Amino acid sequence: MTRNRRVAVASPQTRLDMSRRRSGVRAAMPHLAPADLERARRTHRLQLHRAVATLALLALLIIGLPVVLAAFPVLDDVSVAGIPVGWIAVAVVPYVFLVVLAAWQLRRAEQAEE
Amino acid sequence: MIAGAILLVVVVTMVIGARGVAAMRTTSDFLVASRRISPTLNAAAVSGEYLSAASFLGVAGLMVKDGVGALWYPVGFAAGYIAMLTLVAAPMRRTGALTVPDFAEARLGSPGLRKLSAVVVLVIATLYVVPQFKAAGMVLTAVAGTPYWVGVVVAGAAVSITLALGGMRAATYVQAFQFGLKMLLFVAPAIWLLLQVGADTRRDALSPVEFTHFSHVTPVEFQLDTQLTITEPTPVAIGAAPEQVLAPGTYPVEAGTTWTFPTGSSVPEVAGAQRPGGETWARPLLDPGGAGHPVLATWSVLIATVLGTMGLPHIIVRFHTSSDGRGARRTAAITVGLLSVFYLFPAVYGLLGAVLLPELYLSGATDTVVVALPARVDGGWAGLLVTAMLSAGAFAAFLATSLGLLLALSGAVSHDLLPGTTLRRLRLTTLGAAAIVVALALPAVHLDVGVLVTSAFAVAASTFCPLLVLGIWWARLTARGAVVGMVVGLVASAGSIGIDLFAGTPPGLASILFGQPALWSVPLAFATMVLVSLRGRPPAWAPAAMLRLHLDERQP
Repeated sequence: MTRNRRVAVASPQTRLDMSRRRSGVRAAMPHLAPADLERARRTHRLQLHRAVATLALLALLIIGLPVVLAAFPVLDDVSVAGIPVGWIAVAVVPYVFLVVLAAWQLRRAEQAEE
Repeated sequence: MIAGAILLVVVVTMVIGARGVAAMRTTSDFLVASRRISPTLNAAAVSGEYLSAASFLGVAGLMVKDGVGALWYPVGFAAGYIAMLTLVAAPMRRTGALTVPDFAEARLGSPGLRKLSAVVVLVIATLYVVPQFKAAGMVLTAVAGTPYWVGVVVAGAAVSITLALGGMRAATYVQAFQFGLKMLLFVAPAIWLLLQVGADTRRDALSPVEFTHFSHVTPVEFQLDTQLTITEPTPVAIGAAPEQVLAPGTYPVEAGTTWTFPTGSSVPEVAGAQRPGGETWARPLLDPGGAGHPVLATWSVLIATVLGTMGLPHIIVRFHTSSDGRGARRTAAITVGLLSVFYLFPAVYGLLGAVLLPELYLSGATDTVVVALPARVDGGWAGLLVTAMLSAGAFAAFLATSLGLLLALSGAVSHDLLPGTTLRRLRLTTLGAAAIVVALALPAVHLDVGVLVTSAFAVAASTFCPLLVLGIWWARLTARGAVVGMVVGLVASAGSIGIDLFAGTPPGLASILFGQPALWSVPLAFATMVLVSLRGRPPAWAPAAMLRLHLDERQP
């Protein structure tokens, strides 16, 4: 077996930073070709719209559900299969919602790149 | 047997780590590995690193102590990956940055911001890792009967030895294995407990009655100095003394003493806690200590956990293992699913614990409810076996998270804060950090694991969340805006948590605003960052630096 020389593995940013520290010269700043720039602008705008929609739904869960539970304490007295509805609303419902939301956002974010 | 199970977890972790490292010989192996790892495997690794002692033990413990509302903690822990998926995962992967300090440098080109970010990493990692050590100490105390400090020192030794032997490198396979292990060791005992307790206990768990009288002779070994309030004459045997009847009044109890309450004796009240099973306990909202603002308290925890997840230093590194931005995004989405399955189960332990071990609310050892349950349900070998499984799982959770955090912490110190990096110094820094964390965990015995971990989330949400979100989505962010906003967020969140920890919890609304400051510190940090940035002018290359993060790597 040949022994390879050991090499430090680092992220591109880290390597950039380390070489800069050694040479004292700033690396070139990022730039985009004009065609890419236009494409990136469109994608950025579209992704932002879709992200905001997903976050609004997430806010509905984490801001809205506690308010509903506080406003309707009667939910604790109603039970489904012996379990109070108020408990199901925090122990099970959020996870179903999150999984569906994750799948939805993933699909739309990937579409936005095509 | 329990010690054996814990040892087994440590050894298997090291063996898998060592084999994974041995299989990788060259730099290109290392770099290529990231392209072969599927999003599903990577998601298992992310979950493996993420499921800490707070998830494994803390949530069920908080449920016994604070009530059903504690189930909001895991909702926030899982929902954090929706925020990660939507806002951060893909663009962050495309920067090529491994850590937030890396990102700060890549996006804003400011070495000062890099150093500040490293300091924030230090604060977050410390707040996150100390409760992990506390939990490990408590578990060893509960299952082996050793004093708390012995447990913490043993945990510290286990981590240091694992690190010194070079085990548990950041290999994806180790973390993915850890996830499978934790899932098995958490879910199987939960199902066993549910089957074993019988129909009566199951019904009691679903319709709780306030814990006002002891249903059987109950020895309570106090873990903390406690102030008990007795409202009716209560017979009790203190230590080895014969039974006596205590008149109504307030009694101080020293940590380490054992009070044995006979059947039918009334349950004393503990300052700042509510008895399990009561009306407020059963409400699905968080109201720790009965501050009287359940909606605000719940929101505050949710905002911290949802927005803090993206800034956790040991998690963000994991996304770099994805081959590209799309892979990182898929990883985040699958992680939501994996965590959602795991988080269905803390409720089982919490509800059973409130019925079977309500006296933990007196002793202050609620964080041990998960490992204490099997012995309460079955005194024979089966109970012992399940206790061993849960202890091993809890230790796996402790190990996975602590090692990831200690590496992130020492990486920040030796790479970002001090000039030049050597592997030797990285290792020494890690061992030094482990020693400091042990020293910090010793006086932390009275802090709840779940609550302290949420403080780490609050700091991350008030500092790194605005930096990442605005850095990725808003071209006008300036380095100065980022620095000022992060300093304001850090001082606001860490400062008020510090006041809460060291000066004592203020009463009423202030207890929420200081104990869980995310509700106001996150908007404050965002607003500061935006306003200061608007007063300045970003460099000409800023739009390109931001927009390239949204370009798919595959050329059309």
